[in-house]
Amino acid sequence: MPPCEGFTVTHFITVADIDRSADFYEKLFGGRILSRGDSKGASGHIQIANTWLIVNVGGGPTPNKPSVTLSVPADPDQVSSFLNLRVADIQACYALWKSRGAEFLTEPIAKYGETRCYMRDPDGYIIEVGQSS
Amino acid sequence: MSAVQVENKSYEMPPREGISIAHFLTVADIDRSASWYEKVFGGRILSTGDSEGAPAYIQIANTWLLVNVGGGPTPDKPTVTLSVPNPDNINSFMNIRVTDIQACYELWKSRGAEFITEPIPKYGEIRCYIRDPDGYIIEVGQSTDLTYG
Repeated sequence: MPPCEGFTVTHFITVADIDRSADFYEKLFGGRILSRGDSKGASGHIQIANTWLIVNVGGGPTPNKPSVTLSVPADPDQVSSFLNLRVADIQACYALWKSRGAEFLTEPIAKYGETRCYMRDPDGYIIEVGQSS
Repeated sequence: MSAVQVENKSYEMPPREGISIAHFLTVADIDRSASWYEKVFGGRILSTGDSEGAPAYIQIANTWLLVNVGGGPTPDKPTVTLSVPNPDNINSFMNIRVTDIQACYELWKSRGAEFITEPIPKYGEIRCYIRDPDGYIIEVGQSTDLTYG
């Protein structure tokens, strides 16, 4: 990142506080903070496993997206898309990430051929943690 | 088994060790979305979902897209409802970083992608946005000012 050839897929989330989110994703998942953004509008970049999280504050339309407003989730219970962490050992991840301060909605629950649980990030985004069984 | 390489490390789906990160989208039509992401970005459809609630998996570049229809609360998220987005009020989105935005713009447009505008320079990068079949925005950006990585 940035890619030398082709393309790289990352995940952007609108946040209230870039530093708070960068610290959270670094601490929880052992991410690597590549940048913390700046006052001119640059985003924070955090490398986590096979992807990168790009975080920035919200705002109104820009010339390249004239009808779109970015904001933190107004209602954290109305969700369209989310980060989905697939893991090899969900009990180990649940215990480790809980010990690092993650707030899980429930303990891991078996359902539909997998075991899953969800946590909330500092802005209320849900993060799925799932292990195929 | 599906695997991607990032900086000489391999990540598997499902992982046999550690974690592999995917992006979940609530969609109106699983097949429509899987076909669209396969066609536009050269993704690879690994599974097409089923009537028992399994999502479709599409491998794209360094990650996987999981798509499924929406629904009300489940035991593991008792307060959360999943639905397709309001296309102009966005919280999070897929952000594709590219080396040659003009080439990607032309290629993906030729495959049927609907761009909101042409690539526009701003803040040390050149960007444009695509709408997917459910109205999600997908950023396509090329950095012109290397300040990270």
